Amino acid sequence: MKMKKILSTLALTLVLGVALTSCATGGTATTTTAKAGDATTVATTAGPAATTTTGAKPYIAVISKGLQHQFWQVVKKGAEAAAAKYGVDMTFDGPASESEIAAQVTMLDSALAKKPSAICLAALSTDSVTDQLNKALAAKIPVIGFDSGVPNAPAGSIWANASTDNKVAGALAATNMYPAIKDLVKAGTVGKAVRIGVVSQDATSESIKSRTTGFIDKMVELLKADGITAVAVVGHDMWKNGTAEKDAAVILDVSVAATSGAADCATAASTVLNKDVIAVYGSNESAANGILDATEEGAKLGKIVAVGFDAGIRQKTAVRAGYFLGSVTQDPYNIGYKAVELAYQAFKGETVKDVDTGCKFYTKANIDSADIKDLVYD
Amino acid sequence: MSVGTNTGNGAAIKGTVPNKGLGIKGKAPKKVNQRLFAFAALVAIYILFCLLGKNFFSFETALNILDASNYIGFMAIGVTFVIISGGIDLSLGTVALCSAMVGGVAWRVWGLPFWVGLILVLVTGVAFGLFNGLLVARLKLPSFIATLGTMMIAMGLSSIVSKVQTITYPARTELPWFKNIFQKWQVPNGTSTIDIPTGAVILLIVLLIAHVILTKTKIGRYTFAIGSNEEAARLSGVNVVFWKTVPYVISSFCAALGGIAYGCTYTTIIPGYGQGLELDAIAACFIGGASTTGGIGSVFGTIIGVFIMSCLKLGLPSMNLQPHYQKLLTGIVVIIAVLIDISQQKKKR
Repeated sequence: MKMKKILSTLALTLVLGVALTSCATGGTATTTTAKAGDATTVATTAGPAATTTTGAKPYIAVISKGLQHQFWQVVKKGAEAAAAKYGVDMTFDGPASESEIAAQVTMLDSALAKKPSAICLAALSTDSVTDQLNKALAAKIPVIGFDSGVPNAPAGSIWANASTDNKVAGALAATNMYPAIKDLVKAGTVGKAVRIGVVSQDATSESIKSRTTGFIDKMVELLKADGITAVAVVGHDMWKNGTAEKDAAVILDVSVAATSGAADCATAASTVLNKDVIAVYGSNESAANGILDATEEGAKLGKIVAVGFDAGIRQKTAVRAGYFLGSVTQDPYNIGYKAVELAYQAFKGETVKDVDTGCKFYTKANIDSADIKDLVYD
Repeated sequence: MSVGTNTGNGAAIKGTVPNKGLGIKGKAPKKVNQRLFAFAALVAIYILFCLLGKNFFSFETALNILDASNYIGFMAIGVTFVIISGGIDLSLGTVALCSAMVGGVAWRVWGLPFWVGLILVLVTGVAFGLFNGLLVARLKLPSFIATLGTMMIAMGLSSIVSKVQTITYPARTELPWFKNIFQKWQVPNGTSTIDIPTGAVILLIVLLIAHVILTKTKIGRYTFAIGSNEEAARLSGVNVVFWKTVPYVISSFCAALGGIAYGCTYTTIIPGYGQGLELDAIAACFIGGASTTGGIGSVFGTIIGVFIMSCLKLGLPSMNLQPHYQKLLTGIVVIIAVLIDISQQKKKR
């Protein structure tokens, strides 16, 4: 009897041990180790966190908003390239989904406990990490924001950002969509309004909010320039502009998914698509995929002018097939690369400042051109 | 601790229902072993990470483990009562976050004082508990179905109350007392701070109160009696409808406490969030030796289960591993824990 108990305890310890070590061997692959020739001695330039890493290779912890999209995998590639170039140890973590705020906070906590040379962070919610940012500030650990960065962070805690200007990117979608729908919106009148659908994965994350806002603001501006002022923005409290649907000639109908899950994004998309829209915009990969889910991969879009955001194999296929007019792409590789580069420079004590990593509009015509094909990941 | 549980349990049966036919006595002693086993596993995991992890053996990491355990800890303590009573509570994750959402909205949007918001969190929690109790005890719905429904109701309500807007709990700069009391008291020390884990102290107090309720009071005795053999309890004159409701109320109340802890530690409450947290809490109960068929369990065992999970959560990144491995390993621990439980039960018979 007693023997059995001891045995079972041993068994568990063993299983855990084996599991852990096997994970360890599998996992170490993600840690980018530097090649020789990077004899970076801290003595030359007294970096801010130099004391914590004297004698060892600098360690940079990168914490993203997720890993689920191919987007993040390209960011990771960029980060790895920069880590290899500058000879730093780098880890790349991210929560399983973009609703997992608690998981991300825990990741940041454990990164801080490892006393890193610098941290790159794409925060899901700035409010949730304020304490941690203050702690890094006190410990003089440089924090670099990337992708959507860390908006409204405590003063001085974010040393620089490597990110896309999301409002500009959202506006780019509107600018490119407008010529295709110009005649249709001009035909809209009060009482017989035309409707433009906007699908947003959430109304929480700054980057997604900005892309949705950027699109709406630009669209309203373009309409105004053509003399159409009776524009109603409806569907969500965050964006509604006070004009009632019945008083509008053009309606911008915002549909926000209940969660970031694929099914909810598809539901949000089909909600607006069922309202007889002339055009639809999805403000990130999930939202664009939601539109694809609701329309048999775009085949059922018919005459609806669709514009997406980001890339991914499904969206690219829809653009190639002409179902999507086109999509806005960021430069995920550059985001990851610049983030780690800025982190390294900050660690070395160099002055760092924000870097705009850029965005472009791609269509059926230019998707395979040299300046686009590396930005649109599968 | 564990011995206390079992003697209290045995005494309860003697006092209320005929001992025969309950079949508790034979099962009791081995539970001690499973709890010891869980504790040994926790220590082993901790030592393993101290040896292999980077800076794992530090006060800072210990504080991080307490932070990550806090909200799940409250939820797990609560659901232990339901599991001992022979039921299950799938609603507690969304109930926790929905309750937290109500309190947050009351403060941010309706402009009520924050302490009123906190009371509203607890009131909302208790209301959900009464609703679950009504469905399960009086209307005789299977607890699985009833609490599944409540889970969805809570999820929907939190989106409705918040108008699908994220609500943030007070930051340290806004209302310092909130984080000071419910998470960490930060004592300035030069440029940095010394953190005192006040949230963990509250968890400890709730744990001790829950232990006393479970082992020394009528609530505990009847919870065990109903979980062991509901029919026998009813025949011996226990008001089963009432006493079966109580565990659900305790569970939802603790979930609401967990909601406050979550709001305090992670600040941002996303509408409709919380699904899945209940499974972590329930897993902790089973790691800690609760029986799937009811009648057996202890809050101390449960809290060990919680700490095993948080240790994995914090320890794996210290070894530069993705924290997602935590789920995989927790799954393995749960299965082994229950397998050992079953093999020992078979042997006894």
